[in-house]
Amino acid sequence: MDVKRDILWRVYLSYIAVVLVCIGIMSKAFYIQQVQGKHWKSLQDSLHQKIDIVEAERGTIYSEDGQMLSTSIPQFDIYIDFGAEGLREKNGKRFKDNLDSLSSNLSELFKDHSTAEYKKILQEGYKNEERYYLLQKNISYKQYQELKRFPLVRLGKNKSGFIADDKNIRLNPYNLLAYRTIGLDRANAQKIGLELTYNSVLKGKEGNRLVRYIAGGVSVPIEGGIETEAENGKDIVTTIDVFIQEVTENALMKMMIGNDAEHGCAIVMETKTGKIKAMANLGKRGDGNYWEDYNYAINPTEPGSTFKLATIISLLEDKKIKLNDIVNLEFGKWNINGQTVFDSEPHGAEDNVVTAKRAFEISSNVGMAKLVYSNYSNNPNQFIRRLHQLHLDSVTGIDLVGERNSVIYKPGTKYWSATTLPWMAFGYNIEITPLQTITLYNAIANNGKMMKPYLVKSIKEQNEIVDAIDPKSIDDKICSDATLKQVKECLEGVCSEGTARFVFKSSMYKVAGKTGTALVANGSRGYTDEIYQASFAGYFPADDPQYTCLVVIKNKPHALKRHGADVAAPVFKEIADRLYARYVRDSKFTTASEIKKDSSYFSYAGLKEDVKAVMKKVKLNYKDSTALIDDWTIVNGNSSGITMTNKITNSNTMPVLKGMGLKDAVYLCESMGLKLNVKGKGRVANQSIAAGQAISKGQQINIELN
Amino acid sequence: MPLETADKLFSQIPTVEGMRSQLVERTKGDKYIWGIVILLALISVLVVYSATGSLAYKMNKGNNEVYLFKQLAFMLVGMFIIYFLHRVNYTLYSRVATILFFISIPLLIYTLFFGAKINEGSRWIRLPIINMTFQTSDFAKLALFMYLSRVLSKKQEVIKDFKKGFIPAVIPVFIVCILIMPANLSNALLTGATSLLLMFIGRVSLKHIFLVILIAMIPLALIVSVAVVTYDKKKTNTTEQTETTHSFGRFRTWVKRVQDFVYAKDKETPYQVQQAKIAIANGGILMGLGPGNSRQRNYLPQAYNDFIYSIIIEEYGLLGGAFIIIIYLLFLFRCIRIFRRCPYAFGAFLALALSFTLVIQAVANMAVNVNIVPVTGVTLPLVSMGGSSFLFTCGAIGIILSVARNVEQAEGDDIITINKAESIVA
Repeated sequence: MDVKRDILWRVYLSYIAVVLVCIGIMSKAFYIQQVQGKHWKSLQDSLHQKIDIVEAERGTIYSEDGQMLSTSIPQFDIYIDFGAEGLREKNGKRFKDNLDSLSSNLSELFKDHSTAEYKKILQEGYKNEERYYLLQKNISYKQYQELKRFPLVRLGKNKSGFIADDKNIRLNPYNLLAYRTIGLDRANAQKIGLELTYNSVLKGKEGNRLVRYIAGGVSVPIEGGIETEAENGKDIVTTIDVFIQEVTENALMKMMIGNDAEHGCAIVMETKTGKIKAMANLGKRGDGNYWEDYNYAINPTEPGSTFKLATIISLLEDKKIKLNDIVNLEFGKWNINGQTVFDSEPHGAEDNVVTAKRAFEISSNVGMAKLVYSNYSNNPNQFIRRLHQLHLDSVTGIDLVGERNSVIYKPGTKYWSATTLPWMAFGYNIEITPLQTITLYNAIANNGKMMKPYLVKSIKEQNEIVDAIDPKSIDDKICSDATLKQVKECLEGVCSEGTARFVFKSSMYKVAGKTGTALVANGSRGYTDEIYQASFAGYFPADDPQYTCLVVIKNKPHALKRHGADVAAPVFKEIADRLYARYVRDSKFTTASEIKKDSSYFSYAGLKEDVKAVMKKVKLNYKDSTALIDDWTIVNGNSSGITMTNKITNSNTMPVLKGMGLKDAVYLCESMGLKLNVKGKGRVANQSIAAGQAISKGQQINIELN
Repeated sequence: MPLETADKLFSQIPTVEGMRSQLVERTKGDKYIWGIVILLALISVLVVYSATGSLAYKMNKGNNEVYLFKQLAFMLVGMFIIYFLHRVNYTLYSRVATILFFISIPLLIYTLFFGAKINEGSRWIRLPIINMTFQTSDFAKLALFMYLSRVLSKKQEVIKDFKKGFIPAVIPVFIVCILIMPANLSNALLTGATSLLLMFIGRVSLKHIFLVILIAMIPLALIVSVAVVTYDKKKTNTTEQTETTHSFGRFRTWVKRVQDFVYAKDKETPYQVQQAKIAIANGGILMGLGPGNSRQRNYLPQAYNDFIYSIIIEEYGLLGGAFIIIIYLLFLFRCIRIFRRCPYAFGAFLALALSFTLVIQAVANMAVNVNIVPVTGVTLPLVSMGGSSFLFTCGAIGIILSVARNVEQAEGDDIITINKAESIVA
């Protein structure tokens, strides 16, 4: 009994000790909960709750004809967590089992490594237990969808270790087209172009929501937490027309490659509205290729002879001269105030003593310099004031961030010298932007009404126009009608009898414009490198101007072809020809053909065998006048009868597509090596390359169906 | 007799009610303890089901019914173990204790060198056929405490003697602790401390006990001092610190944990502790967030295991936490009652040793949860999600109930003094 009692008090003592510890535990729990409670609870929120940003979808930039110029598409970066539990469990059984098939699938999908190489990459990563191995960058949504079906990957993130990081990137489906004008939306650099100008419209508004992070890095929105929905960005519709831009860009590119030029730009403006229909900027890059690398259109340079338009308006408007005033061109060389003016564009001796109009047409620097000097040297401010009235001393106000202003020296400032005025007369000692030049030419084309150039015509939200931007005029009348008439005469004269007469001699329509050939300084080397900037500015058709266009190309040093008439004017002509054919001439034709419409008339074209089969099936009698040699045929018919005729296809000339079904048209065009752009549905109504025109492989053709 | 029982059993099988009544009839031992076990098991199912949410998400695509059924299966097996062991006459365990103890030693050695590594320490071995990992230390502890009960009961007469009483009792404790220590220091300390408590109850001389404590303090002091010294160094040169302590393997973890605990104030609290405290703070005094509403289960590592007590407080409030403590204390109290009524020294010690061990483990777990002691990997007996420790706990309870059953049977017989009992057992 003694022993047991001895043990018993020890047991109770121990029991009491345990009870005391338990009381300690409860007290501590009470302390944590009641005294420190707030601290821990707030810590919980800060540890697990986070305000997540819900990204807004950036708006799309459309061309005027509804094509996407810049849009956001999802892209994925694929990482692998080789330390994923599911991947490594059972000594990496899952990894090893799938290695071979996965490697071969990856190789097939991405085509950048062979199966064996992929196998090696994966094994290496597994060995090093890399937690965030970058497998592929920037894969498309489609590739990602395919990847998700691969063995191992399809088991999910926890078992495969595959992690996809999605992001939105900007895609310009037309690539080079107006690339600089549309601009860039880059993650780590300054935005440019329309992407910058309209950033606030495009970007939308980020939303945010309170989320709680749970195991596995998954976030769950907290109900009743703050939440603001993301507002997606609005779309903008530009004035740019994909077709015109393409024509412009191609014409410019062709000339620049041919002449190995340094950089150039071409702008097409709709005369009546000031809409920029195309704006191409190409610069030569280190590798010799051309790319839209800089917006030359909105940066000032010495304009050269295209500026003479301003000079002649000024002289006429101030009533200093009449167009038939005689001026002596001094055989293209005139000394004034210790400097010599040279005519850069050659003219014969018969053109030595000429009228002012002729001096303009043959682009005589001497002529312009003498006229301005003799009329304004006692009051140069009058000339400067006139430039101000032509709005050449202010930016055009185009909706493009980064437009720079012209540089016009003023009398009395330190930049003004005795030769400034005469040199300004032919476009030197002054810097203006190509955009300012085209705006001036456009004002002449538009009967003196100067339109503000603009690039965005409407802002859309879910296909509804929320903001339409109307054309605005800068000045309703920049000069008198009398001056206007005379100036137009001069510009037309340039293209019919002047420096550009060879270029436009066979033109089906009248062009008015002015060539320019300016010797430009090459930094500190001055003018010794003989770098010429060739330009041509004008509008067409001269009798009813629809489009104004400017081409400026800066040649390489000592280029053989350097004159505005040789380098820039042909680009202008190519653009003008295409636009005339598509918009100007066609618009006249369609109105004509609509009048004589026979409702019973039909016309189908197709493969002869097919057409015959159809005719037989619907039991129609027809007159077969096809030759045996041709596969293609046209069936024409109206209430009076049906004839089947040969449809001439020749691999070098464009066939008539009109009346064909899409399948046949595609087949025919592709068999001839043409690239086809299709719009609409039904049968072919219009084709961009006229029938009978010569075609070359790889050429682009747009067809419209109705 | 077996044939007879079998016949009897067979004849009674057809009626379920009869079977149940027979099962109840044959279920002996302390009714309170049975009740406590069932209560804890039910709580366990509730809390584990809730706490495995994030684990289920991670492993089974959010299907945490898997864990519910797993836990239910463990409970069934556990109940079977308890029932089976409580039917055995506990005197048998005296012999079994010796055998188990001598099995556990090589097992521990094997684990130390070839065991599966979970969280750095090699504490586990995998059973080949049923493919279940179990912590050998759990097995060894059970064996040790049974063995210790046997030694203490047998040596009562000479217990104050250093050579005859103390040494035979302390040697097995020492061996087991040393073998557990490299992989699991805290468990070794807990085992050692519990053993000392049992020795104190078993009337081992206090002088000798303090001697053991003194010797044990030496390595402990070493760790703490290293922790303090390297911690100061760490502020000036972090890389050097990690390199020098790296070669010590587990030693580094201990040092780190001591540092975490000691320097918790001027340093960020370790993640688990932080999360456990948040869980405790989330529950109120009377009311927690309610069953299944824990928020911290998503962030608290081992929410279903080592940190389940925090989740209990979060979901059921301080009151719920107190309730758990009271259940354990009641359990201990009932076991003391068995001890008091047990006429035989071995049985008495067995009941005491196993119940104290169990409750001390529970207290240790709760102390970790409220951050009274540094983080150690001990489970809350019967409540933490199943596994080998759950089954071993059930084993211990089964043995306790076996003692209780025998006590009940012997009730009414002459009360035999412990002195006499010793001679019977011996």
